[in-house]
Amino acid sequence: MIRAVIVMNTQGKPRLAKFYDYQPVEKQQELIRSVFAALSNRAENVSNFMEAESIFGPDSRLVYKHYATLYFVFVFDSSENELAMLDLIQVFVETLDKCFRNVCELDIVFNYSKMQSVLDEIIFGGQVLETSSVEVMKAIEEISKLEAASNAISLIPYASGWSRR
Amino acid sequence: MALSGMRGLSVFISDIRNCQNKEQERLRVDKELGNVRTRFKNEKGLTPYEKKKYVWKMLYIYMLGYDVDFGHMETVSLISAPKYPEKQVGYIVTACLLNENHDFLRLIINSVRNDIIGRNETFQCLALTMVGNIGGREFAESLAPDVQKLLISSSCRPLVRKKAALCLLRLYRKNPDVVNVDGWADRMAQLLDERDLGVLTSSLSLLVALVSNNHKAYWSCLPKCVKILERLARNQDVPQEYTYYGIPSPWLQVKTMRALQYFPVIEDPNTRRSLFEVLQRVLMGTDVVKNVNKNNASHSVLFEALSLVMHLDAEKEMMSQCVALLGKFIAVREPNIRYLGLENMTRMLMVTDVQEIIKRHQAQIITSLKDPDISIRRRALDLLYGMCDVSNAKDIVEELLQYLSTSDLTMREELALKAAILAEKFAPDLSWYVDVILQLIDKAGDFVSDDIWFRVIQFVTNNEDLQAYAALKAREYLDKPAIHETMMKVSAYLLGEYSHLLARRPGCSPKDIFTIIHEKIPTVSTPTIPILLSTYAKILMHTQPPDLELQNQILAIFHKYESCIDAEIQQRAVEYFTLSRKGPAMADILAEMPKFPERQSALIKKAEDIETDTAEQSAIKLRAQQQMSNALVVTDHRPPNGTPPPVSSFNLVKVSSTNSNLDYNSVDQGANQTNGTVSKTDSQSASADLLGDLLGPLAIEGPPGASISEQSVLSGRDVPSAADAAAIVPIEEQANSVQPIGNIAERFHALCLKDSGVLYEDPHIQIGIKAEWRAHQGRIVLFLGNKNTSPLVSVQALILPPLHLKMELSLVPDTIPPRAQVQCPLEVVNLWPSRDVAVLDFSYKSGTNLVNNKLRLPAVINKFLQPIQLSAEEFFPQWRSLSGPPLKLQEVVRGVRPLPLMELANLFNSYRVMVCPGLDPNPNNLVASTTFYSESTRAMLCLVRLETDPADRTQLRMTVASGDPTLTFELKEFIKEQLVYIPEPSHGPTQAPAPAAPQAPVLPPDDPAAILAGLL
Repeated sequence: MIRAVIVMNTQGKPRLAKFYDYQPVEKQQELIRSVFAALSNRAENVSNFMEAESIFGPDSRLVYKHYATLYFVFVFDSSENELAMLDLIQVFVETLDKCFRNVCELDIVFNYSKMQSVLDEIIFGGQVLETSSVEVMKAIEEISKLEAASNAISLIPYASGWSRR
Repeated sequence: MALSGMRGLSVFISDIRNCQNKEQERLRVDKELGNVRTRFKNEKGLTPYEKKKYVWKMLYIYMLGYDVDFGHMETVSLISAPKYPEKQVGYIVTACLLNENHDFLRLIINSVRNDIIGRNETFQCLALTMVGNIGGREFAESLAPDVQKLLISSSCRPLVRKKAALCLLRLYRKNPDVVNVDGWADRMAQLLDERDLGVLTSSLSLLVALVSNNHKAYWSCLPKCVKILERLARNQDVPQEYTYYGIPSPWLQVKTMRALQYFPVIEDPNTRRSLFEVLQRVLMGTDVVKNVNKNNASHSVLFEALSLVMHLDAEKEMMSQCVALLGKFIAVREPNIRYLGLENMTRMLMVTDVQEIIKRHQAQIITSLKDPDISIRRRALDLLYGMCDVSNAKDIVEELLQYLSTSDLTMREELALKAAILAEKFAPDLSWYVDVILQLIDKAGDFVSDDIWFRVIQFVTNNEDLQAYAALKAREYLDKPAIHETMMKVSAYLLGEYSHLLARRPGCSPKDIFTIIHEKIPTVSTPTIPILLSTYAKILMHTQPPDLELQNQILAIFHKYESCIDAEIQQRAVEYFTLSRKGPAMADILAEMPKFPERQSALIKKAEDIETDTAEQSAIKLRAQQQMSNALVVTDHRPPNGTPPPVSSFNLVKVSSTNSNLDYNSVDQGANQTNGTVSKTDSQSASADLLGDLLGPLAIEGPPGASISEQSVLSGRDVPSAADAAAIVPIEEQANSVQPIGNIAERFHALCLKDSGVLYEDPHIQIGIKAEWRAHQGRIVLFLGNKNTSPLVSVQALILPPLHLKMELSLVPDTIPPRAQVQCPLEVVNLWPSRDVAVLDFSYKSGTNLVNNKLRLPAVINKFLQPIQLSAEEFFPQWRSLSGPPLKLQEVVRGVRPLPLMELANLFNSYRVMVCPGLDPNPNNLVASTTFYSESTRAMLCLVRLETDPADRTQLRMTVASGDPTLTFELKEFIKEQLVYIPEPSHGPTQAPAPAAPQAPVLPPDDPAAILAGLL
């Protein structure tokens, strides 16, 4: 199972953090900080694996990829294949790249909700949902269409009864 | 764009980005939270769109690390919104902000269900995603059938079905009962015929979860998995979008191979052949290429294939191919592959018999210890640690020592510990061990824990041959200009004890030794000074004839420290000062330290602790076991049921080896340990394995009553008693084609009285047991010995503990190499008094037959007893204070196996209920006491009294008392079970009353009531 997905920049600012086993918010921040501290000590051109058990407890592994100003970090347990997780990071990034045409950190900062949607189409409850970025893009475009379609309408406030339920 | 309509959010994010520091950010966030809170309060004026915007802001703030403890209701309520965007944000944010136990989730189960069973596929997806992320038990119970329907529905799009598969997986994890095995197994198999690779990937994740719990129910999925692999390997019907860097869906390949690893064997030869063809193709057809991503993808499949080959324990040919591949990998440029190569080699160590082949790569592995990447260095260290045995220990440990001075600070402690452990486990000779530890202290004193130097001192103390050598070495280190304080402690201690052995060497006269140590006293810290003072006292004592000048010098030092502020130093100084005036009496008091009792190496224990803290426990333990079995294989070429060779070099207590003629097989060999004397036999199986003292503290302080007359055991206990009938008897043994050797019930009963022996044996395997009990805890080490010349496969051991015992069995390897013995420690904690018995469900494959046995484990109530001898003054007040039921129970027991009183007393002692002789004035009565330990009762005193009738030995009156009603009852029933069984003469060769046991004088039967009155 994948335990966490963290995207942060090289200054340690989290850009996306999703924990598939519940962690209280302070704990999340602590974990992110520890991961960053460990990552920032790593040289270039070393492996993509990092010891994670001292941070996430027993039976946890961590792979990361460094792209320009961003770290993409996946934490998972021994039921997953390390290299397959690394590939999944690549799929995630390639999908974002398709979404934003040459993704950069700013895209991610301002399209926070879209990141969430993309991630939800790739990882589902800690399991790999989809590995084809083409398929993920299809799903995302569908969502965008739906959003666009209703955005026009939602500008007009309507007073339906549901919100008072 | 998702945010095109949410300018407010963009503005807020910009603001956050523009904050110069954390303080500004906090202010901005607080302002926003205030704003959102106010808006939520006047909910009426809020449009769904605004709600959505605010909820996104909350999520953003949450990610920044601020607690958002309001607005949950608003978020959740968005789920019921009719429009997509609101619903979407409701679902996404709920999944992020709330955890599965949140009360609000209950409120929305209905809305969620409506979305799932509704016709709108986008809504279905949203709902499934949320449930899949945070759904709990309640969701599992109310939604599982609907989710299953979606998954197998032919009208749903793959997009929905793949989510349904993973959602079902989540629900299954929350409550396994929601997936009905009978009905679902066939559906699951059908699902594997799916053409869509997305749905297939999800379904395989689901399958992995299902088979990991119950592979038997899903046998029908096995051939389908192989089909999927074939399809991918041949690249048939794999659409372009699922081809990743030219490889047909590597994830699906990996997942499928993972699922296959949960099936113990593949029986169908055709399926097996097909699978091996695929695996062969993967193993041979993967090359390291330039493109990093392609490399990663192809090797993810390759490494999974390696795991699968290891699991299937394929023909040797394929296995050596794997090792060859790994050997190649650990030398490639690509760091990821080097890393995984090392890791998989470590894993391979514990699965199969390839250690020798792996050893060929030792040089390369040692090189990896200097890799620029710490992750790789760690893996290399693990591997070296794992592959170390007697043959290469010297090289490896010396390499580790060398590496110590240059290694990262973060690794040094681990490194020092590992080197110390390996040196201890595999030392070819003890002087080398001393060398290593001293070097370790010299090079990395700061990282050498006390345990390490305590241990070396224990060794030296217990091995006379070593003492002069160690003292000499210590003396040499003192010549160094600057030495570590730990070194100071060790050398001072060793020289104090043993420097007199060196006295004739140059520079080793008492005076020289004293001078060189005392030179350093200004540099040491307070805790070291007492050690130095002891050393001085010992030097003084050993100086024969007395050297007046030295004596005055030392006395002056004692005198100086008599007023030291540190109590320990002061006390020692005062005492030594006084003692040194006692003349010859001093020699007695300051005599050499006695040998230490053999005990578990604190080091190894520490290593285990660390491992449970950090590493994947099971794997490392397994590896540790594997090491043990390797070590045993190396040193022990005898058949597993033979007496293991005494390896006295590592017996901590040399004395013990003299009476270690009985090993843990003693029961098996019908050892006739015929009298009930206190014996060390089962406690001192020191020779049984050379690592005994390393891994298992094996009942050193064998409780006085631990062994009793074997005769009473054998004669009585092989007949099913009440307990036998009640407990699970190995019923399935008849079904097994393999017949056990010896009587299982008999072995069990023997083990109830002893702490080591054979639990089970048949032509293929022998299961031995060594147990150690300490208060309410125990540790049983199962020794699984393969008697065959071929590996024993599909070994499974499952503990079925009774409610009152907490039992944890470390991982049992699936395969036991030929003629090897594997040790599996089992930790036991006793929670409360009970007579229920734990059962070991043990199975393995012999040819095509599954041999399965359910064996009772001797973790019985008497193991948690500690005998205690009470005097009359202690006994009677206790006895009186426990008045009447339920704390004190009395029963007349009939049908007792007639035993002379002496034997009865022996029987009691053997169950660790200590007979207190002479307490009861009536010679026909027995009074006994013991302490019972459990987590709930803690240590609790139990008192027992038996009143026998010399005229009729088949009945007696028993009174049991303790401070806990359950305990009293359970203990009474337990004793009763031991007393009441029908003797079967054929089984008791020594049944005839032992002449040694004097018949108790026959006295007229007293009125029991009168006796009791007299007693009280």
